[in-house]
Amino acid sequence: MGACSVTLETLPRFPEGKELLTCLQCGVCSGTCPYGDVMEYPPRRMIAMMRAGLQEKVYTSDSLLACVACYACQVKCPRGIRLTEALLPLMKEQALTHLPELPGELQKALQSTLRYGNPMGEPSRKRAAWVKTAGVPIRILAEDPRPADVLWFVECYTSFYPRGQDNSRATARLFHRLGIDFAILGNEEKCAGECGRLTWEPGLFETLMDYNMAIFQKYRFDRVVTSCPHAHNAFKNRYPALGFNWGLEHTTPFLAQHLDRLKPLLTRKLNYTVTYHDSCCLGRQNEFYEPPRRLLKAIPGLKTVEMVHNRGNSICCGGGGGGMWLDTYFKAKGYERLSERRVKEAVATGADVLAVSCPYEVSRFEDALKVVGYDKRIVVRDVTELLAEAMEE
Amino acid sequence: MPGVALAREYKYMCSDPGQELIRQDIRDHGLDRIVVAACSPHLHEKTFRHAVAEAGLNPYYFHMVNLREHDSWVHADKPAAAAKAMDLIRAAVRRVRWHVPLERRQAPIHANALVVGGGIAGIDAALTLASAGKHVYLVEREPTIGGHMAQFDKTFPTLDCAACILTPKMTAVKSNPNITLWSYSEVRRVEGYVGNYDVEIRRKPRYIIEDLCVGCLECIQACVFKQAKVPDEFNLGLGKRKPVYIPFPQAVPQLVVIDPETCIEFKSGKCKKTCVEVCAERNAIDFKQKEKIENIRVGTIILATGFETFDPVRVPYYGYGLYPNVYTSLEVERLVNASGPTGGEIVLRDGRKPATVGIVHCVGSRDVNTNRYCSRVCCMYSLKLAHLIKEKTGAEVIEFYIDMRAPGKAFEEFYNRVAEEGVSFVRGKVADIYPAGNGDGRLILQAEDTLLGMVRKIPVDMVVLSVGLEPRPDANDVRRLFNIGCSGDGFFLERHPKLAPVSTFADGIFVAGCCQGPKDIPDTVAQSGAAAAQALALIDAGVIELEPNTAYVTEDACCGCKTCIPLCPYSAISFLEEKKARINEVLCKGCGTCVAACPSGSIRQNLFEDQQIFEEIGGILTYA
Ligand SMILES: Cc1cc2nc3c(=O)[nH]c(=O)nc-3n(C[C@H](O)[C@H](O)[C@H](O)COP(=O)(O)OP(=O)(O)OC[C@H]3O[C@@H](n4cnc5c(N)ncnc54)[C@H](O)[C@@H]3O)c2cc1C
Ligand code: SF4
Ligand code: SF4
Repeated sequence: MGACSVTLETLPRFPEGKELLTCLQCGVCSGTCPYGDVMEYPPRRMIAMMRAGLQEKVYTSDSLLACVACYACQVKCPRGIRLTEALLPLMKEQALTHLPELPGELQKALQSTLRYGNPMGEPSRKRAAWVKTAGVPIRILAEDPRPADVLWFVECYTSFYPRGQDNSRATARLFHRLGIDFAILGNEEKCAGECGRLTWEPGLFETLMDYNMAIFQKYRFDRVVTSCPHAHNAFKNRYPALGFNWGLEHTTPFLAQHLDRLKPLLTRKLNYTVTYHDSCCLGRQNEFYEPPRRLLKAIPGLKTVEMVHNRGNSICCGGGGGGMWLDTYFKAKGYERLSERRVKEAVATGADVLAVSCPYEVSRFEDALKVVGYDKRIVVRDVTELLAEAMEE
Repeated sequence: MPGVALAREYKYMCSDPGQELIRQDIRDHGLDRIVVAACSPHLHEKTFRHAVAEAGLNPYYFHMVNLREHDSWVHADKPAAAAKAMDLIRAAVRRVRWHVPLERRQAPIHANALVVGGGIAGIDAALTLASAGKHVYLVEREPTIGGHMAQFDKTFPTLDCAACILTPKMTAVKSNPNITLWSYSEVRRVEGYVGNYDVEIRRKPRYIIEDLCVGCLECIQACVFKQAKVPDEFNLGLGKRKPVYIPFPQAVPQLVVIDPETCIEFKSGKCKKTCVEVCAERNAIDFKQKEKIENIRVGTIILATGFETFDPVRVPYYGYGLYPNVYTSLEVERLVNASGPTGGEIVLRDGRKPATVGIVHCVGSRDVNTNRYCSRVCCMYSLKLAHLIKEKTGAEVIEFYIDMRAPGKAFEEFYNRVAEEGVSFVRGKVADIYPAGNGDGRLILQAEDTLLGMVRKIPVDMVVLSVGLEPRPDANDVRRLFNIGCSGDGFFLERHPKLAPVSTFADGIFVAGCCQGPKDIPDTVAQSGAAAAQALALIDAGVIELEPNTAYVTEDACCGCKTCIPLCPYSAISFLEEKKARINEVLCKGCGTCVAACPSGSIRQNLFEDQQIFEEIGGILTYA
């Protein structure tokens, strides 16, 4: 499907659209959707409305804003309908254009991403500031453009947000100790833009895509490794249309590939009980269920427990599809915050660490823990942080 | 067109007057070759060959142009298709000139029959053949016949007691002198061809001498294991058995089996062997028994190997194997069965009696992630289980369904009855099953009630997963063994979905029951009757006519390189002492593989002689 050339009108001509005609109206999509009970038109009804020619009604409700692009409906659909991939973003685009105004928080994030290349509105010249605190040498391509094996695409939260930087520092230490030939783009990097696509600001997404591709083409490297599953998603599914043909990995499965060499370095015992949260993009979309678990189990002393909803049945943190910037909006509507639902499950396991592999999740879960008053019972750590901790100097 | 003496157009050439036209023209005009360009040889080659023969001409002086599959069905551009039709006709006219008279050969049909699988399909087919006076070998893999039906309590839609209608048939198999029953056995090798199949059967040792065992079951009582400890296969692990056991009280044959995996004598050689003591002078236990090989010749074979239920571990979000109160439908069949592990009482693994039960339809069916097809029987057996659970426990029962499929005789009436009894229905596929979280062992069934348009989260004590029907895991090996096909869903492929539903592409081999596709017992039995009738038709005809389009070796030219031998899919080629290949024309199906492969060009094929093919090509390539 040519990136953005498909519209709701032309959809029925594509395989993704033809699938809609086969919908059984079984309701498994709406039944599994984390916001299925608050959406006026959850996926099944949306399709029924489209079939009846009543899609206008769907756009003019705000059901679509609640879609957090978590792929839960898509993986369970018995007809294999590509809901999260094809239908929902197109519907969302329509819904957004019908909205009297975009929820403030989201609007601000999108504007900042356009202006500064990151949704927080931080100045882009400070993007690589964290590098000085990494404790290991990090090569920035603009300063030293020699070819590298790995281009590490750091992404926004992991560059600016202090708890995200912990992840970056850990990653840098791991790469360094593993002897990986890596470099970063530093201040030249801008958000990969996946959220733009899923909140359907295609213009924004394309601007970022063009920008990042031009930077990539300046340098020589074999593959892109990123710790952001959302960036991974964008590079995997959208950038190839613009000629992205480098290797692509997410940090967690990438490190799992090096487990043989990594394991001897993990010498410090961590007596934690850890429960792992599968991020939607890494899990349901790419089926990387086992690599993070393999990494965790390689840490001496560490025990793992599973939440009730795990792997393909994991519950979204609520950050996808623009949900990251809709908390205020959802709250105003009286929706339960998904991150709160999720941390309650994590606490119920009795674990003392909630491990994650997506930079969105650290901030979302830490915040949710405070709100529900569980922040003394469990801490949130990225898998890379735990690995780095287990690695003695 | 050169060589054409007469061309005719007639709308229904296959009709009686149409055929008469051909016969008349042969007589009136002395025609010696006939080409029909209409329809498809699939449907009417036989018809016209017959007509030609009736007019006194060798039927292989006839050739039919396939205007259907080769032309009208596959092209949308009409003028181009018409031009192609003319090319095909020209090719046929040029080829038929080179046809030579051929004779049909006959093969005798051996009167004995083999039935593989002793479920209700195999039992019924064997009994039908035996009652027509034919000798039947019934080979069953498990220690007893009965198949899945033996595990049920009642059967939909009439709620007949399964044992009451099945057990008499099982004992009839045992007592029928025309049936040789080999249970705990498997077919290992099949060779030969329609009418003359040589079959090798492996009989696994049950460590009991059949002729000496009287079925008293005293050895089971006497076993050094005071308590049964081994998960019992027949009860799907819900009950326990000893190392010496009988699958269920009405098992046929009434013979115990010793399981060497768990028997102490097999493990250590140091058991007190209290079983042997109690068997005493009957002396039926033999720890040294070896497997036995039987070789038989049969004329026809009926495959009735049945199905397996879908393993719901493949749908992790239904929690099977994780939450003890999630059961499969087949497990619940055992729980409601009076001879089952709980004596017919429905108690949960944690000992409670359920007050609410949710039945989840379509588990592993109608889903691209598992099996795409509808398993056909699950809606109805779910209704049956709902009725039985309600009757036995008074529990509130809720069925979660996508579509309620009740298309059989008295099925809709049964649906109505169960609804009247107070079973509730939620239209929506269950999306998630998880613990209620308050430690009472209850589970939440989460689904959109699509008729209400709202997501419901219903707590229940017990979940029943209505698992679909799947091909047996070894269906592909069995298929290869018997040289038949499987359809895309993995079930055995019938020759024609409408007109030859129990035949296969291997002559003399038939399919019956769920090995061909999911179906209920009435349909299974109808099919096993049909398969038995087809087998009988062959047996009673005594001979079968074979098409003469076989390959043959011109032995002078054969250089003895053996290239052809491993290539023949029907093992029809043997190697003679004088270092030449020879093709058994009864086995040869005329596929032409060897003809194309022979490096010395010494294999030729009737009806596909080089000259005929070259002429055909020439006809197509000649610009009219
Ligand atoms: C939970 C459940 C409930 C059902 N309830 C009903 C009902 O109430 N009413 C109804 O009409 N239908 C019901 N059905 C459907 C019914 O089970 C089938 O229609 C019927 O069992 C099909 O019989 P069969 O002989 O084809 O297969 P099976 O019963 O599977 O028998 C096949 C036999 O072949 C043997 N076998 C397999 N492979 C080999 C081999 N390679 N060599 C030798 N032997 C082999 C097996 O051991 C078995 O004994 C139900 C099905 C299920 C799953
Ligand atoms: S899960 Fe798929 S088939 Fe079922 S209602 Fe939703 S879109 Fe339709
Ligand atoms: S992608 Fe997730 S949030 Fe969006 S409709 Fe599907 S299940 Fe709901």
